[in-house]
Amino acid sequence: MDLRAGDSWGMLACLCTVLWHLPAVPALNRTGDPGPGPSIQKTYDLTRYLEHQLRSLAGTYLNYLGPPFNEPDFNPPRLGAETLPRATVNLDVWRSLNDKLRLTQNYEAYSHLLCYLRGLNRQAATGELRRSLAHFCTSLQGLLGSIAGVMAALGYPLPQPLPGTEPTWAPGPAHSDFLQKMDDFWLLKELQTWLWRSAKDFNRLKKKMQPPAAAVTLHLEAHGF
Amino acid sequence: MAFSVVFQTALMLALLSWRTCQSEVLAEYSPLTPEGLNISVSSALQHLHFQWTVHKLPYQELQMVFPIEISRVETSKVIWMGNYSTTVKQDQVLHWSWESELPLECAPHFVRIKSIVNDARFPELSFTSNWSSWKEVRAPTPEQNHWLIFPRNKLVEEGSNVTFCYNSARNPGLSCYVESALIDGEQLDSNLFTFTLTNIPFIRTQGTNIYCGVNHTLKDGVVLFVSKVLEEPKNFSCETQDFKTLNCTWDPGVDTGLGYNRQPSQQYTLFDSVSGKKKFCVHNNWCNWEISQDLPATFNFTLTAENYLRKRTVSTAFALTDRVHLKAPESVYFKNVSATNATVTWKVPVFRNYVTLLCQIELHDKENVRQEHNVSIKGNGEFLFSELQPDTEYVVRIRCASARHVWKWSKWAAATLVTAEAAPSKALDVWRIVKSNEGLHNVTLFWKPLSKFHANGKILFYNIVAKNLDKKSELKLLCIPAPTNGTELTLDQGSYQIQVTANNSVGPSPTSEIVISENSGNEEVEEEKINGTKDGFLVSWNPRYGDRAGHVVDWCEHPQNLHCDLQWKYLGSNTTSTVISSDAFRPGIRYNFGIYELSTDKTAYLVEKKTGYTQELAPLDSPQVAVANLTPHSFTLSWKDYDTESQRGFIQGYYVCLKSNSTECHPDSVKEGLPDKSTCCKHDISNPKQKTFLVKNLQPESFYEFSVSSYTSAGEGPNGTFTKVTTPDGRSYMLMHIILPMMLCVLLIAVVCYWKSQWVKEKCYPDIPDPYKSSILSLVKSKENPHLTVMNVKDCIPDAIEVINKSEGTKVQFTGKPLTESESPRPANLYLLPAEDFSGLAPCISFENFTYNESACDSGSCAHIPVPTTAPPCQLGMLASPDNSLTSLENTHTHSQGEIPAGEMNMNYVSQLASPMLGDKDSLLINPPEPVLCSEYKMQMAVPSHLASPVLSE
Repeated sequence: MDLRAGDSWGMLACLCTVLWHLPAVPALNRTGDPGPGPSIQKTYDLTRYLEHQLRSLAGTYLNYLGPPFNEPDFNPPRLGAETLPRATVNLDVWRSLNDKLRLTQNYEAYSHLLCYLRGLNRQAATGELRRSLAHFCTSLQGLLGSIAGVMAALGYPLPQPLPGTEPTWAPGPAHSDFLQKMDDFWLLKELQTWLWRSAKDFNRLKKKMQPPAAAVTLHLEAHGF
Repeated sequence: MAFSVVFQTALMLALLSWRTCQSEVLAEYSPLTPEGLNISVSSALQHLHFQWTVHKLPYQELQMVFPIEISRVETSKVIWMGNYSTTVKQDQVLHWSWESELPLECAPHFVRIKSIVNDARFPELSFTSNWSSWKEVRAPTPEQNHWLIFPRNKLVEEGSNVTFCYNSARNPGLSCYVESALIDGEQLDSNLFTFTLTNIPFIRTQGTNIYCGVNHTLKDGVVLFVSKVLEEPKNFSCETQDFKTLNCTWDPGVDTGLGYNRQPSQQYTLFDSVSGKKKFCVHNNWCNWEISQDLPATFNFTLTAENYLRKRTVSTAFALTDRVHLKAPESVYFKNVSATNATVTWKVPVFRNYVTLLCQIELHDKENVRQEHNVSIKGNGEFLFSELQPDTEYVVRIRCASARHVWKWSKWAAATLVTAEAAPSKALDVWRIVKSNEGLHNVTLFWKPLSKFHANGKILFYNIVAKNLDKKSELKLLCIPAPTNGTELTLDQGSYQIQVTANNSVGPSPTSEIVISENSGNEEVEEEKINGTKDGFLVSWNPRYGDRAGHVVDWCEHPQNLHCDLQWKYLGSNTTSTVISSDAFRPGIRYNFGIYELSTDKTAYLVEKKTGYTQELAPLDSPQVAVANLTPHSFTLSWKDYDTESQRGFIQGYYVCLKSNSTECHPDSVKEGLPDKSTCCKHDISNPKQKTFLVKNLQPESFYEFSVSSYTSAGEGPNGTFTKVTTPDGRSYMLMHIILPMMLCVLLIAVVCYWKSQWVKEKCYPDIPDPYKSSILSLVKSKENPHLTVMNVKDCIPDAIEVINKSEGTKVQFTGKPLTESESPRPANLYLLPAEDFSGLAPCISFENFTYNESACDSGSCAHIPVPTTAPPCQLGMLASPDNSLTSLENTHTHSQGEIPAGEMNMNYVSQLASPMLGDKDSLLINPPEPVLCSEYKMQMAVPSHLASPVLSE
């Protein structure tokens, strides 16, 4: 489904409204320590928002790459994108993940993806595309901070990047531009998969963190979600 | 001499033998064969770079030709043959390049070379070497062996041709696409295919995608980056505003930058060949250049635009003073501003004072440029404006440029100037309307407001001075505040001179003067019709008076309005015609023009009046018609009150349309069809003053309908509603004419008779009944008793009289003894009773009064018939039959119940009053009746039955 700019703004307004009213939700506004619940909910909402924001951005960017990248059934081999963090995981493995590992994987994935995305932004030729990418990067940075907040609330340390493992984006002269485009394609695709997976992760965490007696599901309804 | 000849011959022989020997040596050792052939590959440029040397040159330099053969895939497939000619020097490494249209990665190339000595200077060295052995060249490919398509990451200009190849050795069925379009490749080898894209368009900055796959499985792809062609910078120029910095600008044209950092936007470099300085420009359309104050102020700039594929340059050379574009002047002020003069001052921002500037000064009013001046200045500017218009707002604009060479003018600096007021410069245009009324002149003055040009300021008020020319001392002064444009004066019948001035804050205008003479407003001039056109009216007149100062034509622009908007036009003394035109003129409106002659003393005399229409229209309404003199054969129509002045054209006549049952029209009328498909006979009355029409030759007792409409030159007005008329019957008409006079005559006679009624009464039926004249006597005598005679009243001696019943409205007068109160309620029957003394003496005599027997009168005999007095007592009652008496009483009784007819009542009472006893007492006295012993006067009326019956019984 294509998202128009108006939808994005509507979504943002909806999200802002939800966030504004979060403190008023009794289940989330317990006296004393609210726990990680609100943070998880906020992270979940932000994930869903980014998921839809990315749809609009990816459509624009793939058109910018040209055919065959903007063709709906295009599924290129993952040649140069091996360094991208994979979101796909076996279901049993995913179910068996503990909270810490689940959150750590999310954090690490978005850290890498954000870095790649900034590289993508640097080589974009049009100003409008640069602005869209910059806006998305800012949002993704927010998601990263939100995940860090949840981890802190749960008492998990943030993963430290190993020195020298910071991903770089430096296409050399021997590097094929076509492969570069494929990497861009895979970056966007992997990002989309990660956002989808994160929504599942945080939904699972959210349910897990809610006390049974005061279980209240904040059902977020927004057009296009 | 001989020695020299021998020496030359020996030398030639030596050389010849050396050459022969050398040829043999060369053929054997090939000393001029290319050696050390080294071939390098430039994959990006698809170039093969050749390097070789030629050893053992016999001379320092030698002209040689190197034939080169290049094969592709295998040595036998020579794709290119050519010669490289050059001058080879000792120990020189020779270089040569060959560009392949096919990417070098596509297939191996084989190269061989040989040499030919072909130097005209050394014809003896003519020599061709053998071919070198084939040298195989393979372009290095990266380790990734999955690359199938070449060239990779190619950058070309729009419109170029590019050949691609792809290898399907490991991917049978490999097919390739350009932007989703399948490409048919040309098979070069068993697994090698090529295709060429020609005249490649620019699609996007991210490049054109070319990719290959097997069954929709992507195997490899490349991006062909197509750059737009770099354009030469346009409109390159440099200028300075402050002599410190040169600002160079240009139009960069299209941006040739590409995505993925394949090609940044073109870069611009500025180079001054005079100073030898160079500057890389940050922006793509302008660049600033610092001016060195110690260098001569001349420049020769070259602007270079450059990208990866192309370089473009433009140049300009100039002296600094020729490229001065000053900033707009500042501090524009005015001083010494009067009504007609003002001085403007200004400053020009930073410039060298030794430079002479040329400044343009413009003076605008609200509409146009009024003054333009060019001024040369050094330093601050100052200029005096003269001949300005008082009380006017001007805009002064100033711009400057270098006087040496006007490269570009600075921007305009503007300021507003308002001049001072001055007294109005023109007399008012004044006119008047004079109306005489009861010995006074009602003068309405009009004047046209002064234009701004003549007012020279805001008009505050108008002064009006009226001088009586007969009594010089008499002055009338009026001050009318602006913006009023007229006033009314009431003057006596004398001559007046009226002066009008307009005044602003500075002073009055010149005086306008008009004179009202004694006869003004009383002129009788006949009105003349004129024909106007849509462009106006041509009004002409005949000059009347000898000495005249001019003419005035006046008219109302809106004559139908209450304020008719008087207009006037002053014309010269010799003018006898003018065209009056106005946008306000409308068709169908009558405009009246008055033509006045102005005498030398400014008195205006009405000489002619004109009236007309710009365009006549048909009348809007029809006259109201009245019918008169209706006879069986004619009637008259009249429409006296029809207002022709308000019509939309001059009424030229009327049409009378007469509808009748007759199908034929009178000869002086025309038959015409009507909208309702009926017809009428149309009579044309061509005299507009005729407002009556006699419709004749009509049939009596016939039904006619008529309508009257007027017409102008533009056509006929609307047909009014038809009025219906029915002619009267001829006989009744005649009868009316005979009977009416007769009735009048009868009425006259009746009046006369009434007037003379007393006389007739006296003649025909006098008031006093004379029994002797009564016919009753003869009637009774003839029927009953021939001896009957009239009783003489004086024979009865009444001793008492009693009123026994008194009817309302009856007035009875009594003689004799008055009634007492106790006697009054007695019934109002009148009894003539004998005195008690005589009660038994004689029987009661009663008689009926037949004096006014109608039957008697009706019979025509109103004569009083004398009644014999010899009638026996008490026999009178027997004269009438008992039946008659009873009937009479019953009638009397009945009438007493209030149902007595008035006539009858009156008649009875008349008879009572007329009795000798009551009404005619004098007669009684004069002619006393004969005494009667007992007599009874019997009432003819109002006898109650209870009283009447005893009488009868008695």
